Amino acid sequence: MADFEKISELMQKGKADEVKQLCADALEEGVNPKDVLDKALLAAMNIVGEKFKNNEVFVPEVLIAARAMNFGLEVLKPAMVDDDIEEIGKVVIGTVKGDLHDIGKNLVKIMFEGKGLTVIDLGADVSADKFVEAAVNEGANIIACSALLTTTMTQMESVVKAAEDAGIRDKVTIMVGGAPVTEKFCDSIGADIYTADAATASEKALEACSK
Amino acid sequence: MTGKEKVLAVLNKEKIDSIPWLPFAGVHAGKLKGYTAREVSTDAEKLIKSLREVNKLYKPDGQPVMFDLQIEAEILGCDLVWSEDAPPTVASHPLSESTDIPDTIPAATDGRIPLSIEAMKAMKAEFGDTTALYGLITGPFTLSSHLRGTNIFMDMIMNPDYVKDLLSYCVKVAKAVSGYYIEAGMDVIAVVDPLISQISPDHFEEFMAVPFAEVFDFIRSSGAKSSFFVCGNATANIAPMCKTNPDSISVDENVDLAAAKKVTDEHNIVIGGNIPLTSVMLFGTQQDNMKNTVDLIDSVDNTDLLIIAPGCDMPYDIPVENTIGVQQAVHQTEQIREMVKNYEGSEIEFEGELPDYANLEKPFIEVFTLDSITCAACTYMKASAVDIKEHFGDKVDMVEYKYTEPQNIARCKVMEVKQLPSIYINGKLKYSSIIPNRSEFIAEVEKCL
Ligand code: B1M
Repeated sequence: MADFEKISELMQKGKADEVKQLCADALEEGVNPKDVLDKALLAAMNIVGEKFKNNEVFVPEVLIAARAMNFGLEVLKPAMVDDDIEEIGKVVIGTVKGDLHDIGKNLVKIMFEGKGLTVIDLGADVSADKFVEAAVNEGANIIACSALLTTTMTQMESVVKAAEDAGIRDKVTIMVGGAPVTEKFCDSIGADIYTADAATASEKALEACSK
Repeated sequence: MTGKEKVLAVLNKEKIDSIPWLPFAGVHAGKLKGYTAREVSTDAEKLIKSLREVNKLYKPDGQPVMFDLQIEAEILGCDLVWSEDAPPTVASHPLSESTDIPDTIPAATDGRIPLSIEAMKAMKAEFGDTTALYGLITGPFTLSSHLRGTNIFMDMIMNPDYVKDLLSYCVKVAKAVSGYYIEAGMDVIAVVDPLISQISPDHFEEFMAVPFAEVFDFIRSSGAKSSFFVCGNATANIAPMCKTNPDSISVDENVDLAAAKKVTDEHNIVIGGNIPLTSVMLFGTQQDNMKNTVDLIDSVDNTDLLIIAPGCDMPYDIPVENTIGVQQAVHQTEQIREMVKNYEGSEIEFEGELPDYANLEKPFIEVFTLDSITCAACTYMKASAVDIKEHFGDKVDMVEYKYTEPQNIARCKVMEVKQLPSIYINGKLKYSSIIPNRSEFIAEVEKCL
């Protein structure tokens, strides 16, 4: 019988090859791939997210766990039948124009993926138009903007505006975050959701998609 | 004691009865002279003029010459994106797709190092006796990440030997650049490494302990003092940082200064910090800045081995009066504590009467200062008003209100004076914080004659 606990532990340590092997073994044994995904990989990512939030692990540990998760996903995905890969939601994410801080954005992306969301990463220094264009092309439910500088957080307002201009404002949820951003700022620019950390962001994103 | 003597005494771990003040005016210096961030990052003359103004208005005990973590990276092949209100940023990483270790060591003539050295020499000649001058270099870990990109974090786990080799290379760069800056007269070399806040203490021990200790030893053996600047929540790494043996450490507002100071005290290392850059310095009022600084000083167990500084590089647009407020609070803590108390005490009623500004007989110049004797910017502001009064003689009236008097605080409240020092003419705000030049001031008064 597949040991979800063990896969989770190895994933948290970033042991990618072992995770991959155990996922393959589980499939051999006839375990439902969706169960392996939910109970081992995504559960592990949740734990990593919490630990990061509490300063128990740091950036390298999160990135390496995410890599191990992706190794596991690689074997699980082809085995999943179509109803297993129901699309929960689609997110376009990026760091706003003029801002090249991308560590936080990358972690938010990882946590989103850890919730099973599909994420399109536009990278850093992303213009408002680019966010909206990608959201339209991809039919995204969420636009997620990260900013780390007080001089660039104002770009988020341009994203809200661009979504209005493109006529998609009522179809997308706009999420904002990054060190200088606050709830008050989020309200003042007419964005929808502010969260202070990546783990909470992924919970809120999931909620927004299941509405 | 001069500011320089204060800084060096503290860095020599001596007990003195005042706290040194170190404003991290990087590109913000340009704002004082109306130059953009790009101008002061590329034009020596404009940079030097701006640094001179920082020295004049902010009365620093120690002062950085440039706060730019892109100088080395630019020389080593990173593309930069330029901005008018922020330092340039690294936008590409030459080693993102390869695990080669470079061997180029920047020469003193490469990139913007000559600009930096020229400014250092000019500052040394002018303020070398009175102000401790700081030369800032990019720390080995942040430089590694500039070259390699954020892959460096994964490399730490998957390819640790590569990271160690890259760090050793970056140590060579750090030593070379420190050497140039020490030769140009810098008293202190600050090794600035914001990324240190993003790794665990275990990773710090594994990768950073040896390289950083080597850089600090080199600086010490070259006759300068050293500082380890970090930004972000570096709480977990304060003790490991101390063990690399810098003379001082500087932290931003994500670190609890009082708690961190207990750790640095145990290691007999100076700690500097950590006025919040955004919430207080950029967006707060002058009152908030004074109060915050006094509270910060009151929060620590003792004020030995302490430097007060902004959390990190000051945003370009910080209002000048806010920095002046911090400076006063560091240098005149008791007086400012009283002022803050009086300001907060809403019971003080203004007992006088405001002039009938609409019907004055002659132009009326009112100078509002924190204290024109101890606050440099206030001294200059007052002097310019005295000069104008002399120029016009009996044709104008002039008065100074010092914020040290409760009734003057009450007057400021009634007149809604928000920034000190300021000059009002006929009840209207004309100049604040930045000293007007003589001819524009004369023209302004003439309009009212
Ligand atoms: C969509 O919904 C959401 C929801 C939640 C979201 C979200 C989106 N995005 C983030 N979150 C949230 O979830 C994440 C995980 O929980 C969190 O993300 P964070 O990004 O906050 O956290 C990351 C996991 C870890 N944190 C970080 O990665 C940032 C750490 C600090 C130290 C920092 C770093 C590392 C860097 N920097 Co920069 N840097 C600082 C930072 C200090 C600080 N106090 O934050 C900050 C942000 N930097 C600053 C500055 C000034 C600069 N930096 C610069 C450069 C750099 C480095 C290249 C050295 C490096 C970035 C490397 C990279 N690839 O990202 C320059 C500008 C670059 C630019 N134009 O973008 C430069 C201008 C420095 C200079 N003088 O040259 C300061 C900004 C001041 C301000 N308020 O404007 C700063 C606060 C440091 C300081 N105390 O001065 C949450 O905020």
